[in-house]
Amino acid sequence: MRLLLVEDEPELSALIRNALERAGFAVDLVPDLAEADDHLALAGYDAIVLDLALPDGDGLSLLRRLRAGGSNTPVLVLTARDGPDDRVAGLDSGADDYLVKPFHMPELVARIRALLRRPGAVLGVTLSLGNLLLDTTTRQVRVDGLDIRLSVRETALLELLLRRQRHVVPREILEQNLYSFGAELGSNAMEVLVHRLRRKLAEANATLRVHTVRGVGYLLAGTE
Amino acid sequence: MKATRAEARQSLSVRLGWRLAAVMLVGILLAAAAVAWRAIATVHELDDSALQTQARLIASRLPASPDADGRVALPENLIAPFRASDGDNVFLVFQGDRLAAASDAIAAAHLAPFLRNRSEAGFFRLPAMPDHVHGMVGLDTRVGPWRIVVLQGREQTGVLLDSLVENFLLESLWLLLPIGIATILVGVLTLRRGLRSLRQASAAAALVGPTRPGARLPVGPLPREIAPLVLAVNDALTRLEHALVTQRRFMADAAHALRTPLAVLTARLDSLDDHPALGALRSDADRMARLVGQLLRMARLESLPLDVTQWVNLRAVAVEAITALMPIALQRGVDLELRESTVPLIRGNHAALVLAVTNLVENALSYAPPESAVEITVTSPAAITVLDRGPGVAVKDRERIFGRFERGSAPRDGGAGLGLAIVAGIAAAHGGTACVTERAGGGAAFVLALRQMQDAPDEPRPPSPPRPSSAVGDSFDLYPKG
Repeated sequence: MRLLLVEDEPELSALIRNALERAGFAVDLVPDLAEADDHLALAGYDAIVLDLALPDGDGLSLLRRLRAGGSNTPVLVLTARDGPDDRVAGLDSGADDYLVKPFHMPELVARIRALLRRPGAVLGVTLSLGNLLLDTTTRQVRVDGLDIRLSVRETALLELLLRRQRHVVPREILEQNLYSFGAELGSNAMEVLVHRLRRKLAEANATLRVHTVRGVGYLLAGTE
Repeated sequence: MKATRAEARQSLSVRLGWRLAAVMLVGILLAAAAVAWRAIATVHELDDSALQTQARLIASRLPASPDADGRVALPENLIAPFRASDGDNVFLVFQGDRLAAASDAIAAAHLAPFLRNRSEAGFFRLPAMPDHVHGMVGLDTRVGPWRIVVLQGREQTGVLLDSLVENFLLESLWLLLPIGIATILVGVLTLRRGLRSLRQASAAAALVGPTRPGARLPVGPLPREIAPLVLAVNDALTRLEHALVTQRRFMADAAHALRTPLAVLTARLDSLDDHPALGALRSDADRMARLVGQLLRMARLESLPLDVTQWVNLRAVAVEAITALMPIALQRGVDLELRESTVPLIRGNHAALVLAVTNLVENALSYAPPESAVEITVTSPAAITVLDRGPGVAVKDRERIFGRFERGSAPRDGGAGLGLAIVAGIAAAHGGTACVTERAGGGAAFVLALRQMQDAPDEPRPPSPPRPSSAVGDSFDLYPKG
C-alpha cells in the first residue's frame, strides 16, 4: 500500500513517515506542492496524506486540481486550522477525512485504513472487530474462526456498523441502506433487526456489542 | 418599536409633495390678490376719469353767473342720465356755500350738508351712508364762481371686483391646477428615481457580511448628492475587509505556530516505546493540545465575526455532537440520549453550534456518574438542553462558570475553564443565551437558547428534513420551578 505524504515540517513528517511505515505502508514524503505534483504525475498512490499550510501554497489547491482531474484517490487532510469554515472548505474541496493537529499516530493509521476500506477502495475484503471477521465478498461472518449464520439483512447491518465501528451510525442512514426505497417500514422493524443481531452475536460469544444511542442511531464497539 | 421608528421617519417624496402643493397654493392666492389689486386700481382710474368728464360737461353748460334768485338752469338732456341712475350718479353745483343746482333734489338734500363747506378741490371719498353702503367717490371742481361736485356710488366697483375675482380664479384654476399637479408629480418622480439607486445600494449593503467581505455598494447611477456617502461607506468596507483579512491570517498563523510543535511532541511521544512516564506525558500533551485548541477557538470567537446566516437544523447539530462524543461516553459508561419535540430550523452557524453543544455534552460527561444517561433535548422554537445526573451547579456558581478560565467547584478533568465560555460566546453570536439550572430529580440542565431569526425575504426556506420517528421524552422537566 503506497501513500504520498505531503508535509513541510521536517520533524513531524519524519515521525509520521516512521509511524506509517511501522503500520506497513510504503510512504513517499514530499515537502511542497511542486514535488507533490511531480510524484503524482509519475506514480499511482492508494491514498494521500495532505498538509494544508505548505511553503508554496494551500494544500486545498492540489486537492481541487486532483478532483477536477477525475481522481478518486482518498485524501486525508492534516491541518492546524479548525475554524468553523475551514472544515467545510476542506470537505467541499474533496477531502475524504480531516484530522486537526496535534493528533495521535494510531488515530492517523486507523483513519487511513478506514479510507482504504471504503467500498471501491483498496482494502475492503475483510472487516474485523474484536474476535469477529466479516468477508464483504463471500458474506461470511466468523467469530473465533467459526462461521455464524446471519440473514442477508443482518449481515448488511453488521457491515454498515463495522465500516463505521466506534462511530454512531444514524438510524436514518441504516434504514436507507437496509430497506428498499419506499418500502413500508414497521415502526420497530429496525429494533427487531438489531435485537436479532445482538442475540446471535451474544450466542456466538463475539467480543463486540451494538450500543443504542437513543434518538440518534447505533454504534458497534468491542467489549474489551 | 421598529414600526413606530419607521413611521416617525418621513418619506422625502411625501415631504416634497406637500411642500410643493403648499407653494402652489400660496402662488395661486398671491396671483389672485395681485390681479384683484390691479383690477381695483383700474376701476378707480376709470371712475376718476368718468367723474372728470362729467364735471367738464357740466362746467361747459354753466352760465357765467346765476340768475336773479340764485339758481342755475341746466338743460334737461344733461340731467336726465343722472336721474336715470337712481341715485348712483349725482352732481351738485354750489356758489360759495349755497346750493345752486343739483341733479336730484332728494340726493341733494342728503348730500349737501357734507359737501357745502369743502374747502379743497380734487377727488374725495364719502363714508358709507344708508343709500350708499359702499360709500361714494366724488370730484370737487372750481369753475369761475362755481363749485361743481360730481359723485358716484361705489357699488359697481364691488360687483366688478367680485365677478373679476370669480372669473379669474375659475379660469386660472383650470390652467394652474394641471400645472401644479404636473410640478408635484415631476418633483416626486425625480426624487424617487434619484433615490432608487440609493435603494439598490441599501439592498447591496444588507448583503455585506463576514462571509462576503469583498462586497461593495454599487456606485454607478447614483446622483452626485448621494455618491459621497456611498463612496465613504465603500472606503470603510475596504478598511474593514483589510482588518478582517489581517485578523484571519493572524488566527491561521497562530493556530499553525501553536499546533505544529504540539503535533511534533505528540508524534514523538507516540513513537516512543514503553516508558513508565509515557502515559502521564501523553496525557499532559493532550491537555496542552486541548487548552491550545480552546484558546484558539475563544480568540477566534472574540476577534472574528461569526457567519450566522446559514440554515441550521438543530437536530443535526445535536446528532453531530453526540456522534463525536459517543466513544468517550462509552469509555465512561455513560449513555447519550437525544430527545426532540420538533426539528427547529434556525439561522446560525452549524459548525459553531456543534462546537457549543459538544462542549456542553463534554462538560456533562465529565460530571455524569457511570451507568447514568446524559440527555440532549432539542425543543422549539430554538433551544438545546443538556441534562446530566451529576452533582449539579450551586446557585452561586451558575453565572460564574460561563466566564473565561472559570471552573466548577469540583472539576473532574483537566479542563481549562474555557469550554463554557466558548458556549456563551457562540450563544451570544446567535443572539441567544447559555445558562444552567437544576434538573428535576438531581443534576444540571444546561440550556443553549437561541433566537429564531426572521426569514430573509430573498432566500427561500429550505424544505424541512423528514421527521424521524422518535418519541418525545415523557416526564422530564426542562425548566424546573424555583
